[in-house]
Amino acid sequence: MNKNIERGRSIKLEAQTSKKMRNVFWRDRYLYLLFMPVLVYFIVFKYIPMIGNIIAFKDYKISLGILQSQWVGVQHFVRLFHNEEFLRIFWNTLSLSIYGIVFGFPIPIVLAILLNEVKMLNYKKIVQSILYIPYFVSWTILGGIIIAILSPSSGIINSMLIKLGVQPIFFMADSFWWRVVYVVSGIWKGAGWGTIIYLAAITGIDAELYEAARIDGANKFRQIIHITLPGLTMTIVVLLILNMGSVINLGFEQIYILQNDMVKNISEVFATYEYRLGIQKMQYSYTTALGLFKSVVSLILIVGTNLIANRLSDNEAGLW
Amino acid sequence: MINRRVSIGEQIFYVVNYVILALFAFVTIFPLLHILALSLSSSNEIISRNVFLLPKGFTTESYRNIINDGRIILGLKNTVVITVVGTFLNMAATIMCAYPLSKKRLAGRGIFMGLIVFTMLFSGGLIPSFILVKFFGIMDSYWALWLPGLISVYNMIVLRTFFMGIPESLEEAAQIDGANDIYILVRIILPLSLPGIATLSLFYAVGWWNEYFSNMIYITSTGKASMALILMQMVQTVSDSMMQSGEGALAQQKRIVAESVKAASFVVAVVPILCVYPFLQKYFVKGVMIGSIKG
Repeated sequence: MNKNIERGRSIKLEAQTSKKMRNVFWRDRYLYLLFMPVLVYFIVFKYIPMIGNIIAFKDYKISLGILQSQWVGVQHFVRLFHNEEFLRIFWNTLSLSIYGIVFGFPIPIVLAILLNEVKMLNYKKIVQSILYIPYFVSWTILGGIIIAILSPSSGIINSMLIKLGVQPIFFMADSFWWRVVYVVSGIWKGAGWGTIIYLAAITGIDAELYEAARIDGANKFRQIIHITLPGLTMTIVVLLILNMGSVINLGFEQIYILQNDMVKNISEVFATYEYRLGIQKMQYSYTTALGLFKSVVSLILIVGTNLIANRLSDNEAGLW
Repeated sequence: MINRRVSIGEQIFYVVNYVILALFAFVTIFPLLHILALSLSSSNEIISRNVFLLPKGFTTESYRNIINDGRIILGLKNTVVITVVGTFLNMAATIMCAYPLSKKRLAGRGIFMGLIVFTMLFSGGLIPSFILVKFFGIMDSYWALWLPGLISVYNMIVLRTFFMGIPESLEEAAQIDGANDIYILVRIILPLSLPGIATLSLFYAVGWWNEYFSNMIYITSTGKASMALILMQMVQTVSDSMMQSGEGALAQQKRIVAESVKAASFVVAVVPILCVYPFLQKYFVKGVMIGSIKG
């Protein structure tokens, strides 16, 4: 008898819950109406390609389509890892990313701190505005400008070198210089943007801390080290984590524009390799395997960095 | 502010600071000024390596070349189309995504957010997206650009934060008067969010203006090429021709003239962005602050 009552109750509860759900759905029907197309977008254009990665394990032929193409297991991955180019490309991608981060990461921070100390608001605004112009200029243009400036025959950098009595340097074709150009141009383009973010974070630091330090006799330098920098730690960590994600997904546009045949061996990275083999040479399955590898590594890097950040800071600093 | 003596050390610091910043600013803007100078200089002066910051042998020949050539103008026209329609689609979709997700009462909100944020961490990759576009038969059409890039999750989150900052009392008052969610969105929320919407639109627009990778892989007919694509091809041809050694004066001359035309093309491409720039400035520093602090 009790069991019947309980069953009766649970059925009633279920009916009530589903009725509640239907009511909620009806009440918010317009919200769902707005959201549905968006959901479709995410499923079609984001999640279906994720599933489409399955062709990394097949020998995809366009004529056969995805379902009919043959399974080949991990054959593509084996081929990928044994490819001698693979190691070189891996190393290129990694090293260029790391150079970019090591040299490029501190600069916006330094700039933000310096800018923050400027008393004349007009000066501050003007410098700020100039600094982040390059962020909005595309790599096609920036790359073209760089190539023009560094040209051995007509570029002004070489003109100045000649006036100083030095031989013109073919920057873009030299293994060493190309990397310098890459890192410096990356900084040039991105530093201003980072500066804004850090400036915003600095303004969030309590002004009273500075007053207290001044009363205690700390000079400007010590104030910066002991107040500003710690106050920026959270922001720095967040940006560092986000940067980790782009280490292996190193941007295509910058490399492609600056690249030329003579520096292929140090400048070819995963993104450009993917483009060449996948789109140009149509080796779809193979490049999808590469893409899958990239995405997984990227995911591991982000999650890993986030875990480390959490560990080191009592779960305060991480993104989740 | 408490009046205190500024020490010598601090005074030196300020001066050094100003100088360093001035240096950075100059280095940043110098290439752009140089290109402007190149575009307005005569080829003789360029060959003699005289052009530095100001044009020498002032001539508008390169610009006339561009207008006559027509390719750049065509690219400009295409880019405008891509940018305007693309931005409109972007904003509509982003609003349609951010608004429902900004309401705590939406059932399944957490799951949806999780699904969407996940796409920022893990993506399907280049080839599957490429095959998908082919599958839909939208190759060589601008839809191949607009659809895959419909919503930037980062922008959406910023907008959602904006929406969540609007007091609920406004919405409740309207609901009492019998307004439904869509009415509230259009008549109340959107007008209040104009700064945020303006900022994001400008971001999207600049993104489309400069976009060339998806153009490169999806657009095949030359009549539809965006300006970024055309510029890239120009840059590539010069880059390759520089590799060729042993040329006579004539070949050099041709290349130098091409340099000036290239420079003029760059100026044409950058000027619209610089025009939009003052408007960008007004809104986006605020937008970045919101995005970075709350994000």
